[in-house]
Amino acid sequence: MLETWTHLMGGFATAISPVNLLWAFVGCAVGTAIGVLPGLGPAVTVAMLLPITSQVEPTASMIFFAGIYYGAMYGGSTTSILLNTPGETGTMVTALEGFKMARSGRAGAALATAAIGSFVAGTIATVLVTLFAPIVAEHAVKLGPPEYFLLMVLAFLTVSAVLGKSTLRGLTALFLGLGAGLIGMDQISGQVRYTAGIPEFMDGIEVVLIAVGLFAVGEVIYNAMYEGRSVTEMNRLNKVHMTGSEWRRSWPAWLRGTALGFPFGTIPAGGSEIPTFLSYATEKKLSKHKNEFGTVGAIEGVAGPEAANNSAVTATLVPLLTLGIPTSVTAAILLSALQNYGIQAGPQLFETSSTMVWALIASLYIGNVMLLILNLPLVGLWVKLLKIPRPQLYAGILIFATVGVYGMRQSSFDLFVMYGIGLLGVLMRRYDFPVAPVIVGMILGPLAEAQLRNAMSIGEGKWGVFVERPASLFLLVVVALVLLLPRLARLWQRRNAAGGAPV
Amino acid sequence: MDHAAVSPSRSHSSHDRRAHWLIALGALGVAGVLAYGAASIPSDAGYAGVGPNFLPWVVATVLAVCGVWLLWEAATGGFRQLEEPSGAERGDWPAFAWVSAGVLANATLITTAGFVLSCALCFALAVRGLRLSEGKPAGGVRQTVMDAITGMLISAPVYWLFTKLLAINLPGLTGTGWI
Repeated sequence: MLETWTHLMGGFATAISPVNLLWAFVGCAVGTAIGVLPGLGPAVTVAMLLPITSQVEPTASMIFFAGIYYGAMYGGSTTSILLNTPGETGTMVTALEGFKMARSGRAGAALATAAIGSFVAGTIATVLVTLFAPIVAEHAVKLGPPEYFLLMVLAFLTVSAVLGKSTLRGLTALFLGLGAGLIGMDQISGQVRYTAGIPEFMDGIEVVLIAVGLFAVGEVIYNAMYEGRSVTEMNRLNKVHMTGSEWRRSWPAWLRGTALGFPFGTIPAGGSEIPTFLSYATEKKLSKHKNEFGTVGAIEGVAGPEAANNSAVTATLVPLLTLGIPTSVTAAILLSALQNYGIQAGPQLFETSSTMVWALIASLYIGNVMLLILNLPLVGLWVKLLKIPRPQLYAGILIFATVGVYGMRQSSFDLFVMYGIGLLGVLMRRYDFPVAPVIVGMILGPLAEAQLRNAMSIGEGKWGVFVERPASLFLLVVVALVLLLPRLARLWQRRNAAGGAPV
Repeated sequence: MDHAAVSPSRSHSSHDRRAHWLIALGALGVAGVLAYGAASIPSDAGYAGVGPNFLPWVVATVLAVCGVWLLWEAATGGFRQLEEPSGAERGDWPAFAWVSAGVLANATLITTAGFVLSCALCFALAVRGLRLSEGKPAGGVRQTVMDAITGMLISAPVYWLFTKLLAINLPGLTGTGWI
């Protein structure tokens, strides 16, 4: 405990250096901006900025990237409340009640409960990260390659098979990503694979290229092709202020949302969508103002999901830092940023890169305060961003996409590839293939393969190694449950429906 | 979630169904390419029993299975549990062409014309497409000049920020480092 305190103070000492404070501030500001703007998310923004990893030192850039990540969650709620299109997927639920509140003239209260709720949840979650991450890291040292491999399989399954509507399309996307991750030199034996003799492919395909192609270029083309006539209406912003009764209704929802969000962030369940929906359902059930849900907008329905969202986002840092396992797309891209520095995320990180880890955690405390200020008194400033005309906004995204992709490897060939991947992105979006599994598969695939082959070496070539070790057997059971439970539940439901229905 | 699993999703236009076929074939094609590549990777596994060609074969096989499954879905009523895509029913091809022209022109010209000018051109072309997609006129000469200037007002500061402040290499038209 005392040790944690000492480390945290050390982290603050690093984080409050003027340069790092500046990076945190710029990160929070950029994050809020892209959160507010439709069309760009935190994942693709961090991906576009990956080229800076060649120049900026790791602590500063991780502080910067983390600021973008949770800044986007603050900003996203503003768009969800004022516009009938959510800024981020994590803030989709906020739009349900938030937009209704804004329409009935309570935009200010909705924005206030979202921002303060995000702050409360973000800060509590950061305290939990501070307390638990070192403990998890301590225990994670005992995990061997078989356990790591199964944890990664779990991450693959939840992101592709459990979350999306269609397991088939999720798996197709995942294996497409795994295939892309195969290109280049294999980590264990240095065998060159799938380079087709092109020397640029030796180091593999850049994550920037895939992420920017799928998310940014794909989004722009999709918008040009299909969304031109979609009308968005904007609610009027009024004074950001909550009454006494709104405070009383908000704070229990914030705490419940925080409690729901945190555990979901730490398990590979694909980010913040599930906890925000759960929080919404909980608040709706517990509320004394059920009549306000879906009509004039209930403040609990904004407060809870917003808190759950930020709590989950902060919690993704626990598995990312202690196990090296990303549980969301943005976390996967943060992992690849660490890889660019040659830093192995995992339990050793707390020893080998202790300064960076603790500075990052300390910066979360600071960043949350910055974001509260940026998003409460200054919210009017960000709302102006929503006035940028759509054509200019999306065309501008292409310029930033170029910076990211070209800046990474100085190859104009990559820009053509980016276009091709953009077309793939349009197809995937049109035909309901999830995109997240591609990115996670691509980044985590090579790591999973290395763990698998190390595990097999331990087992001297026998697959039995996965059932002989208790921890790995346990994980194997979890994997099986994750695969089977939703299907069994569906089967059971169907049988019940069939039995109960009059013939 | 429950009933959609058994019954094919809502009726798709013939256009959509054709796309389903093509996507399924595409997945099979990727699987084929991966298998072809996997065949030339040595299986030198050592005592691990799993060599560098193991995962490539797994990926190729699973993708092939997915491809066949998608093909079967396409043949029997289309993809299952399909979320209705957002936006218009038919793609706006002129808009698509303008945006594509912007991205591709940028890719072609960036090394010769430099980042700032090339991106400004990309911006101007893409803006035309996006404006068309809204049903507005793409803009005359005056508007196009304005668009190009707007593009430069975005790309030039970005260029300076990344090359001067962050020391990231982006191509310039001249050696001065300003354009």
